[in-house]
Amino acid sequence: MFKQPKLRSLTFADVLINAFMFFVVLICFVPFLYMLALSLSSPKAIINNEVSLFPVGLNFEAYKQIFTYPNFFKAYGNTIFYTAGGTLIALFMSAMFAYAMSKRFLKGHKLVMMLIVFSMFFSGGLIPTYLLISSLHLTNTVWAMLLPFALNQFNLIILINFFRAIPAEIEEAAIIDGLSYFGILQRVILPLSTPALATIGLYTAVFFWNDWFNGMIYLNTNQYPVMLFLRNIVNGTAMIGDGAGAADKSTIAMSIKSAVIITSTLPIIILYPMLQRFFVAGLTVGSVKG
Amino acid sequence: MADSTMLSHSRRESPTPRSSGRRHFQRYWQLYIMMFLPLCHFLLFKYAPLIGNVLAYRRYRPAMGPYGTEWVGLAYFERFMQDPAFWRAFNNTIILSFGNILINFPIPIIFALLLNEVRSKRFRKFVQTISYMPRFISTVVVIAILSELLSPSTGLFNRVLGQLFGMDPIYFTNEPQFFRPIYILTDTWQFTGWTAIIYLAAITGVNRELFEAADIDGANRFQKIIYVTIPSIMSTIMVMLILNVGSLLSLGFEKVLLLYTPSNAMVSDIIDTLVYRTGLANQNYSYATAIGLFSGVVGIILVSTTNWLSKKMSGESIY
Repeated sequence: MFKQPKLRSLTFADVLINAFMFFVVLICFVPFLYMLALSLSSPKAIINNEVSLFPVGLNFEAYKQIFTYPNFFKAYGNTIFYTAGGTLIALFMSAMFAYAMSKRFLKGHKLVMMLIVFSMFFSGGLIPTYLLISSLHLTNTVWAMLLPFALNQFNLIILINFFRAIPAEIEEAAIIDGLSYFGILQRVILPLSTPALATIGLYTAVFFWNDWFNGMIYLNTNQYPVMLFLRNIVNGTAMIGDGAGAADKSTIAMSIKSAVIITSTLPIIILYPMLQRFFVAGLTVGSVKG
Repeated sequence: MADSTMLSHSRRESPTPRSSGRRHFQRYWQLYIMMFLPLCHFLLFKYAPLIGNVLAYRRYRPAMGPYGTEWVGLAYFERFMQDPAFWRAFNNTIILSFGNILINFPIPIIFALLLNEVRSKRFRKFVQTISYMPRFISTVVVIAILSELLSPSTGLFNRVLGQLFGMDPIYFTNEPQFFRPIYILTDTWQFTGWTAIIYLAAITGVNRELFEAADIDGANRFQKIIYVTIPSIMSTIMVMLILNVGSLLSLGFEKVLLLYTPSNAMVSDIIDTLVYRTGLANQNYSYATAIGLFSGVVGIILVSTTNWLSKKMSGESIY
């Protein structure tokens, strides 16, 4: 810091702005607090409308139930598999593609760049994509989740720009040391690119974690990801919980639904603040102006 | 985009005149190998479906490939042009999109401007971190939480309304008149903080001297926002506006699908859900492709028109 600006006392406007920001934080948080409260409350408290932001009649029954429900575990495991596998494939493909594309002297470079940019504005659409994937016989296999989404144009452009910003001297030194281009990518470029890789890795992982639609149209029931499982609970096509007492059923379902929401969202809420110093930079460096 | 600069660079840097093409490949073959697999993937999964749009002009027969069997001309286009379901979906798309841009384009700008006025750096960081958390939440979770919050029997929102104003519970997610506000406001909730990152970055880039000069001229905080900050981030605002208008027809299809109920269908059926229903649910592949292609072409026209207009009027463009 050079010169400390003169300290001014808080004006009325400051108080107003701070109050508003506090309100924003509350708005972002309250829905989760409510879900947490519902998932930990007793069915009786829920049915009597006693639960607002804190659990009433604290118990872990809902969590116990979903953790003994085999379909939930299956779906959760599927999601972890799609997220880990999909993100790995995406990073592998994107890194190779972007590294080659960061070399402007390659023949055909301009054409491929145009293909990438054009497909950002005009894409195949739902039906042609669906027909392609089913004619490749990928439907009802996990590859329908892992393969088609490996390359994303926005992520590619972030990565290409990042690779281009790495000083050429580093690479020239590596060439003199006798490294091949594969060696350079693996041993020099990738270690220098953790911020960009973390950024697009996070975007990709979030995409896979949150997906339900592709799971719905391409997979069969025992391959469903957890978000699709949740969606089926919400719209009533999947039932969860034992049928203990018909009157209790809807309220039990309510706390169970909340427990599924909490458990399926928690990993992401924990993960993103750790990676945020990367992705804020990644978003502003690579975005919009390309 | 960056292509114009790439052109000049490649001319300057290119170490290989045409005669030494062999040397070029001897030196760089690994880079071509590296590109091969991803490029094939890209062409297969991005361009094969793009070419698959010819299905809009061809008849589809099961198990005869994704590109159809024989040409039928504009038959499918003529059919949907006369289909009232299409025009209903078209109108719903336009209304929902414009409503969404009208509300959710300015809000992140205002949020960024206000957040920038927060004195405490730590509080500012904290608010920002919390504000983009919803962006990482699955649409399914957003809608699931919403349906519990708005539930007429036990939902928190109806209880608050009941206690404060003595109102009867309202089945918000089932009443057609609440569909658009719900769609737009959940978007506000989910994306305001995230979109504001771009504006905040632009505000941080504004030359400090401009503010000092404004201080000397005796401008107050509000005047500085109006006369210094906003004009300085105008180019960012314009670029974002072009991108927004360009994607006018591509609404959050998954969210609409999740909010869709038979009783709100008259307002919630948009082009994308129509494509989904006629295509995947009813297996009218060619017909649905024609509708999808139409909205894709309209989208491209929108992008290039706004881009052209903005170039004329403010000198800002995305390509």
